[in-house]
Amino acid sequence: MSADLLLNALVAGLLLGGFYAAVTVGVSISFGLLDIVNIAHPGFIIAGSYVAYLGNSRLGLDPALAGVLALPAFYALGAVTYQVYHLSFERRGQEGLRGLAFFFGLLFMIEVALTLLFGVDYRYVSAPYIDKSITLGLIQLPMRMVVPCVLSLAMLALLQLFLGRTFLGRAIMAVAQDHEALRLMAADPVKIKRIAFAISIATCSLAGACLIIIQPVEPSIGREYIGRVFAISVLGGLGSLPGTLIAAVLLGLVESFTATFYGPSWAPALSFGLLLLTLAVRPAGLMGR
Amino acid sequence: MRPAAFFAAAIGVAALAFAVASLIGNDYVFFAGYTVVQFIVLATAWNILGGYCGYVNFGTAAFFALGAYTTVFFHKAYPLPIPLLLVFAAGVSGLIGLGAGYLTLRLRGAFFSIATLALAVVLQTFVVNWDYVGGSRGAYVIRPDSIDVLGFQIGYVRYLCLIMLALAAVAVAIARTIERAKLGYGFAAIRDDELAAEASGVPTLNLKLIAATLSGALMGMAGAPFPYYTGYVEPASTFGLAYAVNAIAMPMIGGTNVWFGPVIGALLIGTLMQIATVTISSAVNLLLVGALLVGFVILAPNGVVGLIQAFLRVASPSRLEPRSIGLVALATFAFIAGVLEIVFGLAALTAPDPTGLTIAIGGLALAALWILSAYGLMTLQRWSPLIATFAFALSIPVGALHIWLDRSPTNIALWGGAIAIAIAAVLFLQRRDVRRFYQGFPAKEARA
Amino acid sequence: MTPLLKVAGLGKRFGGFVALDGVDLEVAEGERLGLIGPNGSGKSTLVNCLCGTLAHETGAVTFEGRLLNGLPTHARTRLGLARTFQLPRPFAGLSVADNLEVPLLYALNRRRRLTAAETSERCEELLRLVGLVDCARKYPRDLTQVDMRKLELARAMAAEPKLLIADEAMAGLSHSEVAEIVSLLIKLNERGATVILIEHIMHAVMQFSQRLVVLVSGRKIADGRPEEVVRDAEVERAYFGQ
Repeated sequence: MSADLLLNALVAGLLLGGFYAAVTVGVSISFGLLDIVNIAHPGFIIAGSYVAYLGNSRLGLDPALAGVLALPAFYALGAVTYQVYHLSFERRGQEGLRGLAFFFGLLFMIEVALTLLFGVDYRYVSAPYIDKSITLGLIQLPMRMVVPCVLSLAMLALLQLFLGRTFLGRAIMAVAQDHEALRLMAADPVKIKRIAFAISIATCSLAGACLIIIQPVEPSIGREYIGRVFAISVLGGLGSLPGTLIAAVLLGLVESFTATFYGPSWAPALSFGLLLLTLAVRPAGLMGR
Repeated sequence: MRPAAFFAAAIGVAALAFAVASLIGNDYVFFAGYTVVQFIVLATAWNILGGYCGYVNFGTAAFFALGAYTTVFFHKAYPLPIPLLLVFAAGVSGLIGLGAGYLTLRLRGAFFSIATLALAVVLQTFVVNWDYVGGSRGAYVIRPDSIDVLGFQIGYVRYLCLIMLALAAVAVAIARTIERAKLGYGFAAIRDDELAAEASGVPTLNLKLIAATLSGALMGMAGAPFPYYTGYVEPASTFGLAYAVNAIAMPMIGGTNVWFGPVIGALLIGTLMQIATVTISSAVNLLLVGALLVGFVILAPNGVVGLIQAFLRVASPSRLEPRSIGLVALATFAFIAGVLEIVFGLAALTAPDPTGLTIAIGGLALAALWILSAYGLMTLQRWSPLIATFAFALSIPVGALHIWLDRSPTNIALWGGAIAIAIAAVLFLQRRDVRRFYQGFPAKEARA
Repeated sequence: MTPLLKVAGLGKRFGGFVALDGVDLEVAEGERLGLIGPNGSGKSTLVNCLCGTLAHETGAVTFEGRLLNGLPTHARTRLGLARTFQLPRPFAGLSVADNLEVPLLYALNRRRRLTAAETSERCEELLRLVGLVDCARKYPRDLTQVDMRKLELARAMAAEPKLLIADEAMAGLSHSEVAEIVSLLIKLNERGATVILIEHIMHAVMQFSQRLVVLVSGRKIADGRPEEVVRDAEVERAYFGQ
């Protein structure tokens, strides 16, 4: 075990963790704050990856830029999805079974639709920085991981500021705590929730772009991320953004070390195993409400 | 009907189905039939935990694959007869169901569901890394040609069908018995309000564990004969999402409150899948199932059975009248016709020539009309008799066109029958009592 | 005489917030106890702790001389401790009669074996007791507010509890409806059930209670005869300020 290998596994884990945080932050909002179990979240992320791919291959855009440009579209998609969800389930008080089945069906349809449109071949993007890496002594910093990590952290910071400082952000935090109180303050909880959910889906646009920068994608990859996303958000304490980051980095490190020393084929089991463990032992997570 | 009598009846139906299939003689019937009956078992098993208790299991594939891989393991180590394999598979899958349940059923339903997804992936990863059962390359299981059953030599696939039919009878009997027994009340209480159930003296954790174990065991049993059926088992497809979606879609489309809901759902979707797989690609077929699932979950959450039950509660609350039966039959026919039309429309869409394209679009439009009619008739919408009349009337020239294009006797019989039904339907919908019935309701009344 | 229910030093915190701060309470068999307190005083938390829905950190709850700590809710119900919920929680997918079937099968059936005929007889009797016989085949969503409260009470009574905790069973009801529920509770008490009534509607509490307990900020500040308690200076201060 060389210091070189160890250090690089560490760095890779940290960078990966930053990215995982971006992937998860949408679920921290929808599951943590709004109590909506959006299992289709990874599906939206993969869709985001493909949008970035289209922007990159057809229009020659930088994938991250494509991700940013697609934000409004994903926001709108999130708003529509929430509206359907709300009218069909929340209003009738049937979120449990039916809501889950709804999102599962949605996840499934997204995956199949993407398979029909793009086939099962791996798609990747090209950008000037993807093949480069910076070397600092023993440490290799591949740009294709650094750029997404930086973008992810930026997105997280923006969201944290939004939730903590703006009126709308605090309204969202409030609606998570007490529906009725919000109504009494003349704010429409449904509208607030719709905005929050739309934001959570919007994050998928950028997260998806980050994903395809890091690795090539094909439609069924989303399934691996279901485990990661929910493991991180439960571990990090539902609804806590700092907690999400810490948990994400933790998972990133664990995966990185396992991949380096035991091989990558065990990776999917790790996140899910961690989730099962967390659920069994400490459901409130690391920084629970 | 007492449980024992029902079980006897179920076995009787299974035996009858087998006899009919044997008479037809075509091996394809057995191949296709096996899949459909397997789904009856999976859907019924899923419904015990999902429909009765309200806990959604996304990892059906895990339990199914566990059963399949138990068989693979024994096939390599020491081949056993299938009934014994069923017992082992039930044991393994049941135990895993119990274990997973114990870890997660004390938490909210959502966490349980996510954990079942996790379980599927974890188990898949283990199998992929376990070379004895083939790992990611998969395992070949040689199927014997035939087997001796009670002195008769029957083809092995037919034998597998027989086993699966028997299993379906068992599963359905178990489901019905639970429904009417004390256990069923407990499950329903948990589904409706777990906190209130506890306060009413229901030992919720124990009951949920029972449901999870039973459900898992049945799914495992459904998986046990699978390697002999396909001949080749590999993790990617055996643990595939298709099983998870179908196991959820079938009960939710058929109806989750009652034992024949999953059966209807399995027959409907299973048959649809068989038809679709030969006409359109399997990917589009899966998309269709997903769309049906989402559609039903939004519009008819209690499934076909729930929709019909709600309709009958309003239309003929005390006793079944011919008018209501007629309307239910019409709606069922319209729905099935609509779904079939979607399949054929999609098939025509992929055809290269422009006439194919117009036929496809026309077909899909007609399909939409059919499904709208079915939904409207059952949810007592004012506009439904009109739309339904239109749909049925339109199908008369379409049927005539089909006959003109292909004048083989079977085709004429098929489409001639369809035209006859359509004419009868149009006339039925014009009856004064039917029209008055629907006008008596404001728009968007009783939702299912 | 040993009290039916004995609560000693019950304490419950939610993170930094102290919901219950060493509550002592004794309820004698056959008593009609009223429990009042301003919003947020911990009444519902107390009920939840008594029933096992919430775990309390300190203190002991003894029922009929038996320590209840750690026992799950359903076990407590089977021992004879029943409650209704503030917002009615019926089993929406079951008919009114079937709603009563559940506790009859699971809570009552444990203590003595009932045949199917006896169970439906008990069900009928309960429906008659609360006046819901005509609603037997109906579903909870078709019931009026007051009928839903009656169903809640009937469901709690189905287990033949020795102690019934009625948690704000009359909130939002009209004057005559409140009177209906009060007379029903008195009838239940006369049949042998000890009742703890948690309520905000003062005239109902005064009419019903033989003894009154006041809870403020998680602490019991008064415990005695209703007429004396309402004149207590501290109670007045808690409700009306200084």
